[in-house]
Amino acid sequence: MQFLNSIGQRVLFGLVLLLAVLVLNFTLIHMAPGDPADVIAGEMGGATEEMMASIRKAYGLDRPFHEQLFSYVGKVFQGDLGYSYYFDQPVTELIFERLSATLLLVLTSLFLAIFLGTFLGVFASQNPNGMLSHFVTLLALLGYSLPVFWTGIMLLILLAAPPVDLFPIAGMYDVTKDGGTFDYILDVLHHLILPVVTLSTIYLAFYSRLSRASMLDVLGADYIRTARAKGLSERVVVYKHALRNGVLPVVTFAGLQFSQLFSGAVLVETVFSWPGLGTLAFDSIGRRDTPMLLGILFFSALIVIVANILTDISYRLIDPRIKTGMKT
Amino acid sequence: MTDQVEPSAPAAPKLEPDFVPEVEKPWLQTWRMFAKNRAALFGLVLLSVIVGMAVLGPTLYPADPYDIVWAPQSPPGTEGFILGTDYLGRDLLAGIIYGSRATLIVGAAAALITIVIGILVGALAGYYRGWVEELLMRITEFFQVLPPLLLAMVLVLLFSPTLVTISIAIGVVSWTATARLARAEFLRIRELEYVKGARSIGARNSRIIWLVILPNAAPPLIVSAAFAVGIAILFEAGLSFLELNDPNIMSWGYMIGSNRPYVLESWWAVTFPGIAIFLTVLAVSLIGDGLNDALNPRLRQR
Amino acid sequence: MVKFKKLATVALTATVGAMFGATMQPQTAQAAPKAGGTLVWVSSQVPRHFNPAVQSGVATMAPGAQLFGFLVRADENWNIHPYLAESWTVSDDGLTVAFKLRKGAKFHDGQEITSADVAFSVATQQANHPFKTSLGAVERVETPDPMTAVFKLKQPHPALLLALSTALAPIIPKHVYGDGQDVKKHPRNVKDLVGSGPFLLKEYKKAQHVIMLKNPNFNSSDGPYLDRIIIKIIRDASARVIAMEKKEAQIFPYMVDSKDIRRLSKSKHIKITDKGYAAIGPVTWLAFNTKDGPTADVRVRQAIAYAIDRNFIINALHGGLSKPATGPIAPGSPFYNGDVETYDFDLDKAKALLDEAGLKPGSDGMRFKLEVDHIPAVPEQQKAIAEYLRPALKKVGIAVRVRNAPDFPTWAKRISGHQFQASMDIVFNWGDPVIGVHRTYLCNNIKKGVIWSNTQQYCNPKVDSILEMAGKETDMAKRVNLYGEFQRIVADDLPLYWINIMPQRTAYHMDLGNPPTSVWGVISPMDQTYWKKQPK
Repeated sequence: MQFLNSIGQRVLFGLVLLLAVLVLNFTLIHMAPGDPADVIAGEMGGATEEMMASIRKAYGLDRPFHEQLFSYVGKVFQGDLGYSYYFDQPVTELIFERLSATLLLVLTSLFLAIFLGTFLGVFASQNPNGMLSHFVTLLALLGYSLPVFWTGIMLLILLAAPPVDLFPIAGMYDVTKDGGTFDYILDVLHHLILPVVTLSTIYLAFYSRLSRASMLDVLGADYIRTARAKGLSERVVVYKHALRNGVLPVVTFAGLQFSQLFSGAVLVETVFSWPGLGTLAFDSIGRRDTPMLLGILFFSALIVIVANILTDISYRLIDPRIKTGMKT
Repeated sequence: MTDQVEPSAPAAPKLEPDFVPEVEKPWLQTWRMFAKNRAALFGLVLLSVIVGMAVLGPTLYPADPYDIVWAPQSPPGTEGFILGTDYLGRDLLAGIIYGSRATLIVGAAAALITIVIGILVGALAGYYRGWVEELLMRITEFFQVLPPLLLAMVLVLLFSPTLVTISIAIGVVSWTATARLARAEFLRIRELEYVKGARSIGARNSRIIWLVILPNAAPPLIVSAAFAVGIAILFEAGLSFLELNDPNIMSWGYMIGSNRPYVLESWWAVTFPGIAIFLTVLAVSLIGDGLNDALNPRLRQR
Repeated sequence: MVKFKKLATVALTATVGAMFGATMQPQTAQAAPKAGGTLVWVSSQVPRHFNPAVQSGVATMAPGAQLFGFLVRADENWNIHPYLAESWTVSDDGLTVAFKLRKGAKFHDGQEITSADVAFSVATQQANHPFKTSLGAVERVETPDPMTAVFKLKQPHPALLLALSTALAPIIPKHVYGDGQDVKKHPRNVKDLVGSGPFLLKEYKKAQHVIMLKNPNFNSSDGPYLDRIIIKIIRDASARVIAMEKKEAQIFPYMVDSKDIRRLSKSKHIKITDKGYAAIGPVTWLAFNTKDGPTADVRVRQAIAYAIDRNFIINALHGGLSKPATGPIAPGSPFYNGDVETYDFDLDKAKALLDEAGLKPGSDGMRFKLEVDHIPAVPEQQKAIAEYLRPALKKVGIAVRVRNAPDFPTWAKRISGHQFQASMDIVFNWGDPVIGVHRTYLCNNIKKGVIWSNTQQYCNPKVDSILEMAGKETDMAKRVNLYGEFQRIVADDLPLYWINIMPQRTAYHMDLGNPPTSVWGVISPMDQTYWKKQPK
């Protein structure tokens, strides 16, 4: 009962958080100079006063700010994120169109980084002052210190441009290619390699550091000493006993990192013309497509909040001692 | 942050040399650990060189980085311009030297904002607990659910890009991790005996927070400050890449952003500022890593 | 001038019954076009939708010109030819133009194209399109019978046929768009689009591509030849160039960066043409606020003009590929007048003018600060020039501060709100001065909040009266004189300093036959384009 109660509290707070996200973003974006009428006039190569006024009226931009805000928030809670100014299509529809491309890029990068990073980290932790450990630390630092868009540009020029020409230059698949599903999948994978390599460098750095540190922590713990004292081989100690606890923080972090991942995706998608939410968000800023931008911000907040609640629930199920919803 | 600790050190007179080993000053112990770490020392040297370039460079290489000095897109080595020129014919070396200032200032300022907000929120939440903690951590959570780069883009868009707005925008979107770290430290330390002792003799809360707990919570916060500098520099570069920058202040991010369209013709104009950013962030991270190891008591015992 | 006379006389009186398109063959055409093949076209822009009756901009107009037909079409010498109309007659007073529609022309859904559709298309365009002047003179379209559309004009309109020859005036189906919904937001501008042109809309993936298929029922014995046109949307400038080099794409229209043009001209399989842009006339200029700040003084504006080295911009920044602009009308237009003050680079004159204006150098050698804005796009034509002004104007004691706009609306708000000192800009002539030039100089077009109105707030009653006369004049020679006078006056008043004509090129694969080279380029139908040899 108490369990359900506190879950209810979490959900309620999640809703309050979403409301706050909506109000803050809406206010911020509406404070910026210029509005969609300017954009539409701009791409049309000019517009008359009457046209600008009619555009503003059509989008309700001539109404007082608080009215616009109330009507927007009201609609969102009925599941309506509004219409994109630019495409005149429902924002939710446009988001779902792009979501899969971003998820493909982000999740592939994340999993690659987690597996490879944990592997390197665990390896390095076994001998914290050895060559391999230093190498992993250095590798992590290199990955972490490179500006992600710069890495992308360099890879593009070195590997995708003639004369090397190993990878496609832009996009997610080649429309001109006709072939079966299998060819399509291969084609997507081919397009995916460079963006994933670029995006995963940061996370590879992050997870190898995290798992190295966490493994070092765990390897110093009493129960590991006990295991060693029992005369178990180092391999068994590390992989059977320490690893399970050592990778726990890695897993926890992975679930909570969507908002960070999304930031990297904006840059990588821009470099590789990847048709995902990141480029959509960036373009929407340039087009001052307020409903679109608000929709994306809302959506990413929603995903993080839901992920938080789910993590919370699973924590409770695993470990009944946790009482409050606060995590550190 | 480390600079603040060091100046007081040489002044401390060693009255009885024989007495030293037991109560070696913590900073000295840290320094010895740090100095053992060759990578960290390398980072320190690298950062010193970069800071030296920012401070002394303009005197040694007097130039206006905005002046057009040679034909646009001249490759490195042309007519004594060892790094070549950009799409306008501006000297890239001058740009790198003068640009280091803005890049370092944004990095330091944004990191400072990150750390100050983070410590303030974390300290108050961890110390007072109860509704204060509840409220502050909810605010933290609020900032954590928003994608930092997008939020920063909106902020910069709103207030138009200058060094100040960019630093603030970066600080505002990146303080949450520090706040959580600070809170965790404060939660731990406030239960320790000496804090309880201080409270029992009636010390004021502000005194306990800032003079008793904070110095003891400092090590991990110093490390996180070092990383915050690196993150801020990368962030500034990212915003510049998206053309959200102030073209009147030469910075490495600006150089990358404005030369990007020309990268196929003059790779050097994007590559060199990229390397400069990379080396700076690398230096800061190496130092951060070194501090982390040096300040980590478990490793210290080995 | 000769060219335009041809347009005004030949085109207006033409009653050519010849098979449409027959005259479209270039004189040097060798073999008959072959059918088949896919053309991949690379673009940077994401279209909102594909209905050019209610949306301007190349992103919509270029695919729109493939999907929708027009009454007439233009060739590369400004000649007007039949298209969906097979002939037309003009009354002696120039106030009535009657079009006879081509029999058997159908919309993509099989319905016949009638005069009711023409009347509906014109009314829709007039109600929704931003270029009020393009069809502004049309009072109404009468429909005496299904095959005859009669345009009744308020005043003679010298550029009417030109305006009807491109995606500014597409023929759209009344039975689809006349359902009472707002056409600007009509769902069928994107989905289930029913066009009247040589290609059908197959698929649109927003950040990825547009696929258009050959319209098999297009009532013509001459084209379309291509089976498929795919517009690939690639956002990164370098990636677009590389896609062409790797033959992933075979045509790249609207190339405006000299670096891209230079690079692609080195590729053996690529040809580059500057044809296809004659009607656009994009002028890059530095606009001044003539009401506020130091630039309110004409001497200051002239001094700035003298301090700018146009040759450096053209040769060093644009690799010699852009052309100098000396006034509001682009060279190449029959109305261009080069005999005006051109402000050739002269630092001494600049300094003298500034002294005269009472702006003496301070202790740091600087006379005053000048803030320069620029459009956040086409960096070579905007940002690079704005940045060049900083060291250039420093030499005469003007401290330039470049003001970045993170996005287009921010820039537009500043300029249209008259909150600026000077700004880089690119404005299109759009074929006839009535469409693209007048708007920048008329007193009554000083409209706060409207971008690309007279944002310089320049007002000279004499200019107004000349432009008013020139807008109505149908005699070519008289019009040329009026515009010549206009160009002299504004060059002296200098509300803006015209720097160069933005280079516009189309790069295409060498095996492509009949690339789009009419005055409207890719915003006219590509039904004649074909593969001489399929590239692999």
